[in-house]
Amino acid sequence: MNPTELDNAYSHLCHTMTRLGETDSQLFLARLALLAMNRFEDAEDAKAWIDAAAANVSS
Amino acid sequence: MTSYPEYVPYPFQAEHHVATHPVCTNGLEDHSHRVVIAGGGPVGFATALGLAKQGVASVVLEADDSVCFGSRAICVSRRSLEILHRLGVGAGFDAVGLPWTGGRSFYKGQEVLRFEMPQDDNQQFAPMVNMAQYSIEKTLLDGVQAYHHLIEVRWQTAVTGITRNEDGVRLAVKTPQGAYQLHTDWLVAADGGRSTIREGMGLRLQGTSYEGRYVIVDILMKSPRPAERLAYFDPPCNPGSTVLVHKQPGDVWRIDYQLRDGEDPEQAILPHQVMPRVQSLLDMMGETAAWNPIWVGLYKANALTLERYRHGRVLFAGDAAHLVPIFGVRGFNSGIDDADNLSWKLGQVVQGRAAPALLETYSSERVAATHENLSYGTKSTEFMAPPSFAFDLMRRAVLSLAVKHPELRSLINPRQSAPIAYGDSPLNGPDEWGTHGPRPGTVLPECPLTYVSTHGDHAVFLSDQAGHGFKAFVFTADGVLPQAWCQVGVDRAADGAMIAHAALAVQAVSLGAPHPDAVDVLWDNTVQLPHLLGAQLGAVLLIRPDGHVMARWRDANVKSRAIVSAWINQLLAANQPTAIGVTP
Repeated sequence: MNPTELDNAYSHLCHTMTRLGETDSQLFLARLALLAMNRFEDAEDAKAWIDAAAANVSS
Repeated sequence: MTSYPEYVPYPFQAEHHVATHPVCTNGLEDHSHRVVIAGGGPVGFATALGLAKQGVASVVLEADDSVCFGSRAICVSRRSLEILHRLGVGAGFDAVGLPWTGGRSFYKGQEVLRFEMPQDDNQQFAPMVNMAQYSIEKTLLDGVQAYHHLIEVRWQTAVTGITRNEDGVRLAVKTPQGAYQLHTDWLVAADGGRSTIREGMGLRLQGTSYEGRYVIVDILMKSPRPAERLAYFDPPCNPGSTVLVHKQPGDVWRIDYQLRDGEDPEQAILPHQVMPRVQSLLDMMGETAAWNPIWVGLYKANALTLERYRHGRVLFAGDAAHLVPIFGVRGFNSGIDDADNLSWKLGQVVQGRAAPALLETYSSERVAATHENLSYGTKSTEFMAPPSFAFDLMRRAVLSLAVKHPELRSLINPRQSAPIAYGDSPLNGPDEWGTHGPRPGTVLPECPLTYVSTHGDHAVFLSDQAGHGFKAFVFTADGVLPQAWCQVGVDRAADGAMIAHAALAVQAVSLGAPHPDAVDVLWDNTVQLPHLLGAQLGAVLLIRPDGHVMARWRDANVKSRAIVSAWINQLLAANQPTAIGVTP
């Protein structure tokens, strides 16, 4: 994705979550992660992205 | 009781102007006007200057007795600088404005983005200069006063009523010296976000108002820190908030910070709330100099516009027509574009060179521009003042990932104002050049050139070339025009129309070294135009008075000066301007 496409996808994601509301957004994000994970190359790749997303998450 | 730094005045002394009262009979001004401009702000003054440059007189009505006060527009874009130079006031902006080219964003104290706006050796102007609106207005006013034979500014004159008819507009105004009415053929409503004209006509802005509020603080502080855009997300000094910092001329610093959810705006602007937050920000930035507050205000983002900017003989411009969020600095800059677009068209109509329908293209082009500005401004606002938990959560995700994942940093970029193309304009003519270079509707890129005249050679820029009517660039090898472009006095108005000739200026461009006998030639001495414009020998490029490209023809021998002139006149005379159906 180029920056404009990324930007548009980002906005669509934010608007979708706004529409679903805060409670349902948690499940929505989990489902999105699951669908995205299925597009990773292999288990190694999936693990690397999971670890990257988890890094410093609570700092 | 804690003591805080004392308030000090702006390093600027505004002149106060007295009200005037014209000669009236039965409460109606004896003299009737061709153009009245409601609002003596940047847009009103720029419109008056644009008209005066064409020899068209106007009266500017301003409710206050001086230029504005407080912190308002602060960033002047490169495109605005081009326009302001064309209006003859550029030197004032060069002298006062603080140029800058980029900025940095921080998350929890760590740098997450460094951006640069487009800048290269070809540029005449910085991508952005900072200048407070009171200085902007004063600089424009100086220019207006130099045209006192064509522009009359009536201070302390507030519009109280508007009546429209087919011939024009009648305005009721009040001044400290009494009320009166005046008639004008055309009214430009540049009277700001709370436009009295808009209200009086029962028109409403439509769009989105955002809830998130920002406190705006101007302080006086000496610091050698350079001018750049600084954004602090969730900074250690003010956790959970977003802070923007801009250096302005005269040691003024503008600080914008976001209020947290549930904070009372009225409380938030009190000294005991503001001063400690400013101090902790300056401590975090490592600024140790003494400082004083100058001004504190509140800001709430709006993304609103009128559906149309022409309503008969009333034309809306600037904040009266649209409110664009401050993030991305498109408010003032889009207003200057409005003034630039409107003034040449209104000038042509008032002088009988174009049918009033030309003004419909002011509305359609600038409404389209507003929609583009709003789409960027809305995205910036959604990032800077998240309108829901989702935007807030996703912003935290972006900011916390940006250091390790540079591919996400473009989402933090503030999407600063950039020139807008009128891609769908009915004024766009034929394009025989293909896809390379600036297509009809776009603004010309910048390029240094040499002007060869009998007075010697001068360094000039391509952006200097606009503002002299319609201008055709004819690309030659040595500055010698083909025969079809040398004829004089062959311009012909459209059949039967009582339309005077629109002036077509012809400019020979020399792609190689100019012939010794060639004069008044624009020489591409850095050999960049073939690449930048896609210009080829023998081709013609036509620009509008506002510098937007209008048409590109391949062969100057086929499209002669007479043919291009006739085409322009036909387009201007049309009741519904459209390039389709008009033979170019």
